[in-house]
Amino acid sequence: MKKNRILIYVVGFSVLLPLVILIHLNSGQISLSFSDYFPTDISNLSTSELLAREFRIPRLIITIIAGSGLAISGMLMQTLFRNPLAGPYVLGINSGASLMVALSLMTGFHLFETEFGLIGAGLIGALISGLLMMSIAFRLKSQISLLLVGLMFGSFTSAIVSLIESLAAAEKLRAYTMWSMGSLQQVEFNQLPVIGFVFLLGLVLTFVLVKPLNLLVIGEKPAEVLGMNVIQTRFLLMAITALFAGLITAFCGPIAFVGLAIPNLTRILFRTQNHAWLIVGNLVIGAIFLLLCDTLIQLLETRISLPINVLTSLIGAPFVVFLLMRKIK
Amino acid sequence: MIQFRQTEIGYKQKLLKIDSLDLQQGKVYALVGRNGVGKSTLLQSMSKLILLISGDIRYEEISISNLSRNQMSRLVAFVESKFDGVEYLSVLDYLMLGRAPYTSLTGKLSETDKEIVLQVSSDLQISHLLEKSTVTISDGERQICSVARALIQETPIILMDEPTAFLDFINRQKLIELLNKIAVEKQKCIVLSTHDIDLCLENQLTFLIASQERIVIENCKNKQDLVANFQK
Repeated sequence: MKKNRILIYVVGFSVLLPLVILIHLNSGQISLSFSDYFPTDISNLSTSELLAREFRIPRLIITIIAGSGLAISGMLMQTLFRNPLAGPYVLGINSGASLMVALSLMTGFHLFETEFGLIGAGLIGALISGLLMMSIAFRLKSQISLLLVGLMFGSFTSAIVSLIESLAAAEKLRAYTMWSMGSLQQVEFNQLPVIGFVFLLGLVLTFVLVKPLNLLVIGEKPAEVLGMNVIQTRFLLMAITALFAGLITAFCGPIAFVGLAIPNLTRILFRTQNHAWLIVGNLVIGAIFLLLCDTLIQLLETRISLPINVLTSLIGAPFVVFLLMRKIK
Repeated sequence: MIQFRQTEIGYKQKLLKIDSLDLQQGKVYALVGRNGVGKSTLLQSMSKLILLISGDIRYEEISISNLSRNQMSRLVAFVESKFDGVEYLSVLDYLMLGRAPYTSLTGKLSETDKEIVLQVSSDLQISHLLEKSTVTISDGERQICSVARALIQETPIILMDEPTAFLDFINRQKLIELLNKIAVEKQKCIVLSTHDIDLCLENQLTFLIASQERIVIENCKNKQDLVANFQK
């Protein structure tokens, strides 16, 4: 009976996803025909074919990757810390990525002088802050103090970012401010293979860790007695989260609440702790959620230009308050 | 089955030193002693969750330091004093985790694994709980489920940290009777820490008395014997 319920949801959402993708592709201001997405001659593209290739497709793919990746990294953190309120944003992993991107964009201190320098900065920032939070987390007993430490870490890094901002030259400051609003339109077509590769790598690693994830549900010590290697699992989970959060933060800027809200929503709908199903659920529901948000943004574009981070916060924050009322009374 | 040789255990500081002690299969041992004497630390050291300060613990002649995490998981099961349950984790899913030492990377259970889960559930009379969530069942039922998970792990040794602490008096008696039965029938070595001395006396468990940094093994018949040992 339980399995049927999950199957119905998985099939339902899988049918919904292509529909949402079609709606997303058609919500731009200029309407394109279906054939524009499949140009016959790549070297000689018409304007609408160019629009499809350079704007619509990259935006669609990065939206799917950001929604799925953030949802999965949130799920990993919630299972690792056994805390439904954990997530890359709350734990300050995004803040670490933001700090490195700020350093990279505004100080001229480029970590990598390549086209993908931003990914490098995002990944390193996410990994450092992730490891830092992890070393603190396992000294704390209470779930609330972990969130408070994450909050403090976020305030601390944003203070440093403000400091850098006040010293930065005008045009560099502008580049950073644009980035920090969060946007799904910064990705170019030729960057997609690298982004796709990093995302798939993270996804494969996540599926490999299904067994330790399922064991972690009952706590670290019981999991260890059942044969799980604790140190290795902690490190791998943090590394995968940093991979997703760093990649997405670098390309789309900070996007709040997806990583916190979607894994909880998935668990509430699926009513299971089997991570094989939870990964699939987060993957599909995360993508659908962010696609719908971005569709709304595109539809409102003529009236207001709404940054993605603002919209996800508007929807996500009340949902998290609802969760808090439900879990911690 | 379990041999202690010059074993020094402790977490940050030395708590207990066991010069020589042998525990046998087919028996239930009650580890008793005052708060802070090191009962939990001893059980965690025996599960290799805490490293020994010095000396050795041997399981069937193999030193604990030579056993990998995975080998340990096939030798020793551990039941914590309280399992609070997890939202959306069904009893069946919880019990199936007990087979983790034997499953592959995917964690998928074989038909034999599933049969073991169902057999133990029916032996412990919790088959009717399998579909329920681990948070909605009672404390007593949850404790039996934890014991069931340890049995499903099919280890020769089961360690339990105050398994009776959160149970009412009827469930306590039931649990100890169950453990006695399992120890004899399946020839397991069960060590449980407890403060429930009357219960252990009534059920004629063998006492492991932790006091003054030592462990004494004793078949006490009454409280006077036991108290005398505490003060030795």
